[in-house]
Amino acid sequence: MTSSIAVAPSPGRGLQRVIAVLAALASSLLLLFLAVPIGQLIGAGGADGIRQLASDAELRSALSLTAITATVATLLGVLGGTPLAYLLARREFRGRAVLSAVLDLPLLIPHPVAGIALLLLLGRESAVGGTMLAAGLRVVGTPLGIVAAMLFVAAPLFISGAREAFARVDPRFEAVARTLGDPPLRAFLRITLPLSRRGLVASAVVMWARAVSEFGAIVVLTYNPKVASVLSYDRFTSFGLREALPVAAVLAVLALIPLTALRTLKGADDGMTR
Amino acid sequence: MIECRALSARHGAFQLADVSFAVPTGQYGVVIGPAGSGKTTLLETIAGVVPATSGQLWLHGADATTLAPEARGLSLVYQHAFLFPHLSVAANIAYGAASAEVAEEVTRRFGADVLAGRPVRALSGGERQLVALARAFARRPGVVLLDEPFSALDPRRRTIVRREVRALHREWGVTTLQVTHDFTEAGLLGDVAVLLDGGRALQSGAPDEVFRRPASPYIAEFLGAENVLAGAVRVLEEEAPDWLEGDPAPIAHGYRAIEFTSGPLVLYTVGDFPAGDGYAVIRAEEIVLSLESPAGSARNRFRGVVTERDTLGALTRVTVDVDGVPLVASLTTRSAKELSLAVGMEVTASFKAMAVHLC
Repeated sequence: MTSSIAVAPSPGRGLQRVIAVLAALASSLLLLFLAVPIGQLIGAGGADGIRQLASDAELRSALSLTAITATVATLLGVLGGTPLAYLLARREFRGRAVLSAVLDLPLLIPHPVAGIALLLLLGRESAVGGTMLAAGLRVVGTPLGIVAAMLFVAAPLFISGAREAFARVDPRFEAVARTLGDPPLRAFLRITLPLSRRGLVASAVVMWARAVSEFGAIVVLTYNPKVASVLSYDRFTSFGLREALPVAAVLAVLALIPLTALRTLKGADDGMTR
Repeated sequence: MIECRALSARHGAFQLADVSFAVPTGQYGVVIGPAGSGKTTLLETIAGVVPATSGQLWLHGADATTLAPEARGLSLVYQHAFLFPHLSVAANIAYGAASAEVAEEVTRRFGADVLAGRPVRALSGGERQLVALARAFARRPGVVLLDEPFSALDPRRRTIVRREVRALHREWGVTTLQVTHDFTEAGLLGDVAVLLDGGRALQSGAPDEVFRRPASPYIAEFLGAENVLAGAVRVLEEEAPDWLEGDPAPIAHGYRAIEFTSGPLVLYTVGDFPAGDGYAVIRAEEIVLSLESPAGSARNRFRGVVTERDTLGALTRVTVDVDGVPLVASLTTRSAKELSLAVGMEVTASFKAMAVHLC
């Protein structure tokens, strides 16, 4: 009996081997391209950077400012982004695609352009900036400007990750909780939030790491006081590579710590869901 | 009481349309239908999880069409249980429980007490269904909605759990609506059966009525009727066959005598079906096989040849060819052995006039 299902001819064994070798080569080259510069940077400047932490007050100040502003920006992102992410994951409504696109926009535009856009909105010449200034809130040239720049460029990462985390929780869990007597907010707090917690934490960590490494938008809004990325750039342009290396290396380590923690967390999460 | 009045809802691309039926307070309703017919959407609409787009839903004698799920006084059990994986078995059962005592009672009655120490993720599908049932009943709801709640249980445990659900339903007066694919289960449990297909309720009523008097040949075949014959209906007025004594009109509780012709077969039945084209449905278990023409009251008798014999445990399904028309009879395997039925044997297939349902 002949089968009516057409089967595509498979490439020969020799060709398959060539494709496999080429794929492995391309992947290895890309991996090296991504990992070697960071490894080299930490190798060349990491030890000096750690030593400088004890003696270089400007570096210490820049690092603590970076960590604090990134944490504040992340908290604001989580606070405002969680309901948005939930809305996008759970509700069908007109304009959802447009809202998604608007939220992704900061990821797509060059970050100095993002800084200029923020300057237009929050600068002293603008209505918003002028009003804030009148209320005693100066944005440009202050840590508030740094937070604003970090929030703008990094919050979309949290929203996107949180949206996926919520979407992974089957809505029927909430449905059961509702029929067991929970109003929507209680069902969210007792069921959806705990079930999506790991994804939300991971998204917040990614947002924090992105905020820590932001340069383009911050440099337009607030050159001084300097965060670590601006300090690294400043030392590179003023004193050259040798002086910039320790700062850059410490900044890379600062970004790597939460990312490593995130991978560990994701590993544990996979173990839980299997 | 659950009463749907032309209830419609949309879930993604699926449309539930104009569904009407009622399950009186304290009764057990079963929803039967093929996969994708809208059974789960119907339960979710009644639960308020999927909003109704039109029509009305009445629960406990009040309009509940726009009530939030938590205000409807019901519980919903999904086929896949949806136990909260971050909570223990005990915490799941206690989640919406009316009291700790009720939670404890249902845990014991469903046999979920032995699972208390195990994480939810380690439970089998059947164990999850036990816990989900306990969780739903622990709320002591007025209405319970069950979506294939026994599908993952092994046959022995299914019987025990089904009995327990039925017992709680009776003792607590819980109005229950259960989705099932199992016709036997529908017959065993249901006071009311609702047949759903394509998002529409095709027929509802007492299960026996729905099974024996399907509204269409499609429903008959879906409900497992094996003999559905297309043919012509003729109402016998003055020319009643000799088995009808006297005036045909007042016989058989006021129904008329009817002759139904399907190819070479001429059947007799009684009813109020109009003349014209129609379908005759004869359930396989209504057909009696015998080696000789039997004495007795069966008005439809046909000689034929056995063409197929399938034994399925205690029951045997026999196909008899009557002048090119296959008639399928279902009899006990013991009877089939006593008759020594074999392919090629000549037998008589007989059934009563009342066993023929026209639609």
